[in-house]
Order: sequence, then C-alpha cells, then structure tokens
Amino acid sequence: MRRVLVRRAITSLITFFIAISLVFVISRLTGDPLSELIENPEVAPETVEALRRAFGLDKPLYVQYINFIQSTLVGQLGYSINYKRPVFDVIMEKLPYTIALLIPAITLSNYFAYRLGVESGWRRGKKFDISITSVSLFIRATPHFWLAIVLLYIFGVWLGIFPIFGAVTAGAEYASIWDWLKDYLWHYFLPVSVIVIRATGAMFLYIRNSLVETLGEDYITTAVAKGLPEKIVLYKHAARNALLPAVTVMGLRYAFIIDGAVLTETVFSYPGTGRLVYEAIVYRDFFLLQGAVIILTTSVIFVNFIIDLIYLYLDPRVRYR
Amino acid sequence: MTETVEVGRKEVILKRTRWGRIKDSLNEFWLVFSNNTSALVGLAIFSVILMVAVFAPFIAPYDPYVKTGMPFEAPSDAHLLGTNDVGEDILSELIYGARISLLIGFVAAVVATLIGGVLGLLSGYYGGVVDEVIMRFTDVWLAFPGLLFTIFLAAVLVRTPIGGRIIYTVIIAIALNSWSGVARLVRSVTLKVKEMPFVEAARAAGASNFKIIFRHILPNASPILLVSVLTRIDSAMLTEASLSFLGIGDPTVKSWGMIIHYAMIRNAIVTGRWWWFIPPGLMISITVLSIILISIGLEEYINPRIRRGF
Repeated sequence: MRRVLVRRAITSLITFFIAISLVFVISRLTGDPLSELIENPEVAPETVEALRRAFGLDKPLYVQYINFIQSTLVGQLGYSINYKRPVFDVIMEKLPYTIALLIPAITLSNYFAYRLGVESGWRRGKKFDISITSVSLFIRATPHFWLAIVLLYIFGVWLGIFPIFGAVTAGAEYASIWDWLKDYLWHYFLPVSVIVIRATGAMFLYIRNSLVETLGEDYITTAVAKGLPEKIVLYKHAARNALLPAVTVMGLRYAFIIDGAVLTETVFSYPGTGRLVYEAIVYRDFFLLQGAVIILTTSVIFVNFIIDLIYLYLDPRVRYR
Repeated sequence: MTETVEVGRKEVILKRTRWGRIKDSLNEFWLVFSNNTSALVGLAIFSVILMVAVFAPFIAPYDPYVKTGMPFEAPSDAHLLGTNDVGEDILSELIYGARISLLIGFVAAVVATLIGGVLGLLSGYYGGVVDEVIMRFTDVWLAFPGLLFTIFLAAVLVRTPIGGRIIYTVIIAIALNSWSGVARLVRSVTLKVKEMPFVEAARAAGASNFKIIFRHILPNASPILLVSVLTRIDSAMLTEASLSFLGIGDPTVKSWGMIIHYAMIRNAIVTGRWWWFIPPGLMISITVLSIILISIGLEEYINPRIRRGF
C-alpha cells in the first residue's frame, strides 16, 4: 500500500516537472517573453528592462530554466503589468472564487452523472434512456462558453432574475454575513450551473456505457436469478462495478472542468483565476497568463493524485498489486 | 519479354483483388452504418452543412466582408439576422463561417492525427525506451487541462505567427490539444501489425525500419487514422470556437466562434441582440453533434462489441 502510494506521488511530481518545463518551453518559443511589452505603449522601456533583469531574462537559456524552476517552486511567478502586483498575490486573491466554483462542480456533476447514468443504463433503449442520452450528446456538442452565454441571456438579461456579472453586487454594503452570502449565492448560481451541466453531460455517457457493459456480466444474471430486488442488483451489484472504470476518467474530467471554468468565468465576468486568463490575453499580461496556467495545472495534478488515492481505496486489486 | 507481360498481368490481378477487397469492406461498412439511424441522421445534417460551406457564395445574400447596412440593425427582410457592429450581414457571416469553421476543424484534425500517428507508430514499432518515453509523455499530456495549454501556446505564438499567418498558428495549437488519443490508438494497432508474418518477411528481405513502418504498417493503420481524423473534427471545432471566443485567432477570419467573440465584446448579450450570438452557437452545436453521431456509427463498425443501443 505504502509503496503504491509513494510511486503515485513520484509520478505526480514528474508530471508537475514536465508541466512547468513545457510552460517554460512555450514561453520561450518566440525567443523573448517580453517582446510584447516592448510594443506596449503604456509600459515604459525602463520598466521592461527592469523586469528583464529582475527575472534573469538576459541570462543564457539553461540558467533561465533553472531560475524558472526555482522561482516557480517558491511561488514567484512574476509581476502582473495590469494589476501592478506580484502574479502570485493576484492569483491567490482570486483562487477562492474558482475553488468555490470547482468543488461543487466536481461533486455534483459526478453525483448527477452517476444517478442518471445508472438509471439510464438500466432502462437502455427505453424512452427515458433515449431522451437523457440525446440531451447529453447535445450538451457535449455545445461550446461551453455558448451554453454560458445562453443561460446568461435567458435568465440574466431576458427574464432579469439573475445578475449579469460579478461575484457580488459592486459597491454593496451588507448588514450581516447572511446578506453577503445571499448576494454571493445569487451571483454564484448561473456560473456553477453551467459548469455542472457541462461536466455532467461529459461524464454521463461513460457511466451509462460502463453500466450497460456490466449488466451483461454473469454475476448480474445470477443476482437476478436469485430473486434479489431490482434496486439491490442495480446499485449493489452493477453500479459499484460500473463505477470503477469511470473513476479513472474522473481525473481527465477535472482537467476538462478547469477548461470550462476559464470560459464560464469569462462570460459571467466572475472574478476567479479562470477570468484572469482572459484578462491576461486582453491586456497582454504575459506573467499573469503564465502564472495562471501554472497554478491551474498544478491544481489538476494535485486533484488527479487525490483521485488516484480514492481509486486505491475503491479497488483492492490495485492496492495489493 | 514474356517476363514483363507476366509481371504486368500479376499487377493487374493484384490490383483487381485489392479493389475488390476495398469494395467488399465498403459494402460491409455501409451495411452496419446504414442500420444506425442516428449515424444516418448525423451524416445527413453534416452533408447539408458541407453543402452550405461549399456553395456559400451562391447561398449568402451578401458578401460578409462588405458593409451592406447600418451598424447594429435588428432582423428585417433585407437582413434576416440583422447586421453586426460595422453593418455587415450576420446571416452571410454565418454561411461563410461554415467554410472557415469546418476547414480549420478539418485541417487541425489532420495535423493532430499526423502528430499522434507518427508518435504511435514509433512507439509501437520500436518499443522499449522509445515506447516508454512517448507513452509517459502521452499520459502526462492527457491529464493536462488541454484547452488551457492550447490557449497559452496560441496566445504566445500569435505574436510571431508560424508562416506569417495567425490561422496556421491557431491550427497547430488546436492540433496539439488532441493528438494524444491518436498516439495510443495507433500504437496498439502497430503492436498487433508488427507481429504479422508479412512484416517479418519484409525484414528478412532486407527492408529498412523506415520502409517497414511507412510501407507495411502504416497502410494497415490507415483506416484507424481516417476515422480518427473524422472523430477529431468535432473537438477541434470546439477548441477553435473557444479560442476565437477568447479573442485568440485572426480577427479578420470570421469563424463562428469569432462572430460570438465580436458579439460579446460589442455587448450584444447584455443589450439582448440574440440574433447575433445565438445562431453561430447553434451552428457549432449542430455541426459538432452531427460529427459525434457519425463517429458513434463508425465506432460501432470498427468495434462490433460496442452496442450502444441508440
């Protein structure tokens, strides 16, 4: 058990190093990551030179690489031109908003996908299955940002029952923490719904197909032949085994959810880390973009590690191999 | 003299049998595929959109790059879907957009399949360390937030575009998002094919590794590669739309995603101009859905064990 755990941890570390090395390679592809700043009329040439010296961009490439790894490990991600503050501080300030979006997105979408997938697979070929499966296919085909736009338009603009931007009402003063929470949740509802809907649609088919496959197994026939109630066969025998292959793709789903958060936060002007990616593109804020990519990727690797641990717990065969 | 005649005849016979085999497998394919209603529906929708793309100049009421009305016009008889912020016809943009979105999706899918195909061939054929390195890298890549890296890569490269055109850069960035699945597929095919007797025969006859890979193994992997191009067009189109929406891409190339980008930055959503941002999104969804439906039919043909019950 411990050996497997250590091996997984090492794999995650290697993945992390490959990830930041890739970020380094991409950022130096054009030769000079600051070339854009030189063209930016709002940034003085002296500032660019100061940044270049501060981040060692005038040194040879291998020195830059070592510096890059070192500073990334201690959280020095550079300086944001737009926010005029260190990138790490900016990201950390926005990260809670994104995490608050992601955690329910992961748990709710997995729960919905699980329940719908199992019920749908059990009724395969019936009306319920066909309608749910068709809806999930359409959700899969819908661009994430467009789904967000449609919901924003219908509920925010047309019906006017939800706010159209921000995480809380701008400039509002709150009598109590409850008032703040109410305002926060009101702003929170649409963005989180978009992410949950998209992630459920993506996960649903895996679980449904996995369940359909499991239902063909001999032990299911045995369980039915023994006269066990339908619910028991479905949830105790079939669903548990159908879930295993689905857990392995959960990690991939999380990376997908992060991608979705970037787009959703952009549409709703939600002040999270994902929105920073868009701002960094618009304001050509190189270090901010790079920092957001590093932090978000690291979170993906971390979550994947956690999912691996869950998998170890769920599947004893992996534990004792 | 007689020798050449004989060789010639052999070639003819070989060609005929090969053509016969292709015809047989096409027939078999159609038998399975045409049994799948949703795949047929997908094919029908996709054909219509392809037609629209090909005959865009004949269908579109206006040139989408020419100002033909006042800015921000609402839908009317002259402009069925209104006009954009500079007075260009949105319906025409939409029709021409089919060309651009499909073309970018298709080319990016081809590039992704090429990258994944070559890596898969090398990995499967050489095995050992090569295989280990390529497959580890593939695993790592699969677990990355792909869109985020594509955004980063495209945003960095757009400043000095490959080949001088932003569009090429965007295509490469999209392709890098989706090669990893192909690499795995092609690797597994290669592992199977390289154990076949004719590969051994080729090696005994002194064929080089290069020749074995590209003359003997690649043709056997080509059906998989063809399918993988098709099944990757949908994800490539979605990636392209997301990049364009975020403003990464050639601002003068009007793909469906780019139309939505302009709608957003010109406040069409909060001012309720639905005719500007709803239709392009619907077009993306319908096109991608049709490709997904076709893919499901193809998968069923390639892997008969999959019975999805659609």
